[in-house]
Amino acid sequence: MELLGTVVVLTIKSLIFIIGMFLGAAYLTLLERKFAGHVQQRPGPLHVGPHGFLQPIADALKVLTKEDLVPDSVDKVLFYLASLMAFVPAIMILAVVPFGDPFTIFGVEIKPYITDLNVGLLLALAFGSISIYGVIFAGWASNSKYPMIGGLRKAAVLIGYEVALGFALVGPIMMAGSFSLREIVEAQQNMWFIIPNILAFVVVIFCILAETGRTPFDVQEAEAELVGGYVTEYTGMKFGLFPLAEWYIATFVLSAITVILFFGGWNPLPLMGWLPIPAFVWFFIKVFLLFMFFLWVHWTLPRYRVDQITELAWKVMLPLALANIFIVAIWIIIFG
Amino acid sequence: MVKIKYIDRPGLTNRERVFFVDFIKGMRITLKNLLRKTVTTYYPFEKLTPPKRFRGTHAHRVKNGKEPPSFKVLEKFMDIKEGESRCVACYMCQQACPVPELFKIEAVQTPEGKKRVTRFDMNLLNCMYCGLCTEACPVDCLIMTDIYETASYHRAGTVLHLDDMARRAVDFDSRRFDEPDRIWIDDQERSKLWGQIKWS
Repeated sequence: MELLGTVVVLTIKSLIFIIGMFLGAAYLTLLERKFAGHVQQRPGPLHVGPHGFLQPIADALKVLTKEDLVPDSVDKVLFYLASLMAFVPAIMILAVVPFGDPFTIFGVEIKPYITDLNVGLLLALAFGSISIYGVIFAGWASNSKYPMIGGLRKAAVLIGYEVALGFALVGPIMMAGSFSLREIVEAQQNMWFIIPNILAFVVVIFCILAETGRTPFDVQEAEAELVGGYVTEYTGMKFGLFPLAEWYIATFVLSAITVILFFGGWNPLPLMGWLPIPAFVWFFIKVFLLFMFFLWVHWTLPRYRVDQITELAWKVMLPLALANIFIVAIWIIIFG
Repeated sequence: MVKIKYIDRPGLTNRERVFFVDFIKGMRITLKNLLRKTVTTYYPFEKLTPPKRFRGTHAHRVKNGKEPPSFKVLEKFMDIKEGESRCVACYMCQQACPVPELFKIEAVQTPEGKKRVTRFDMNLLNCMYCGLCTEACPVDCLIMTDIYETASYHRAGTVLHLDDMARRAVDFDSRRFDEPDRIWIDDQERSKLWGQIKWS
């Protein structure tokens, strides 16, 4: 009976998370388009609903009703699998992201996270890596040159930055003494981990930009050279899932993990603890600010070459991550 | 021979390399732009007024007493009533046009021995709006208006005819005939529009 209850609660919770993430991602597209527009001194979508507020819904309807073409020469199984492989792992990272402390409503204790695994961070890293296989599969299965080049570029970027990302996350783990994201947040009540881990934070920012294919590292799409890269052969909603997964869901979820690791999760901002704002609102404010930072970077910078990207990964980011581990170790020895 | 010394492109300084100074500079610019007002027009609801010399859809000025002297010479050979297109079917526009096939001009002789223009069609699908035809017109008849919305549901809708060209010119002149041109006619006019210019 208890098992059944757990299953029902988990199902409901997962549905809420997934639907919320879908709607959230839809509106993140609007946010991005508005931001991009204003950066370029144009207003962005404006006419569907008040100030373009219903534009994501119109876009979703349009993309869903588009003709879904599958080219003859593609590898059918991988072709279908690729869009799912890009999308599902990205949303599965949500399973380990805690959005706040457990709280009680009407005598029922509600935990605003799906699971509190003791290897949560590793799981998030693993899913983040798997979602990149979607891009590589798409490049291979399309049986076309541009997607192939895009997929291979993504693989090259991935190999460099996964290593650096893994090492960069060691710092907060060392300070918290746990892989569980909830315990990492609880360890930051007095001081955020950004203080000794500033190098790791820089590395993580670069790694997230590289992993989600946002601008300085968007070599796998590179619309000027690769006509859209790995999505060249895709149409309809299969095409729509890739940017949805990569640019919005993955960026959002990885921002959430960065906030948890470096900015104290749902702890209030310093000197603002007296404000009557619930914990999860603090969390979403921080995630939103970080997401906006990624948008800002995206709509500012031009693209690196592939060799520059790998050079940056191996010659700069990896040593920085290792140096961060050293600094944190000394910090722990001195300050306990 | 001039001796040329080839120098290397300046590389990044260490400060720039460590702190990603170029990134920060670029991001400052985008942030500044983000806070600026947008520069767009909400097109179907707001429309910009083009300058008077804008090269839009063609039109025919009508006979209304403001003709140049050249028209006065030709007037007695023509059968044109007041308020009709003052075209004299001289085919100069077609001669000047880079795509002369887009003009279909026909004129007939009336029983009184005068010339009457019966047809003046322009297929704007072939037109490149270079304005050579308006410069060639000897009677200041063919002009270009400030109308720039030329889309149509059928190809036939993009062909201009004699009567609607006359109507468009009447409309254009009623709106903008008195507006001072941006380009001066003589020195006096120039100083009125642009102020006194000191030539060095």
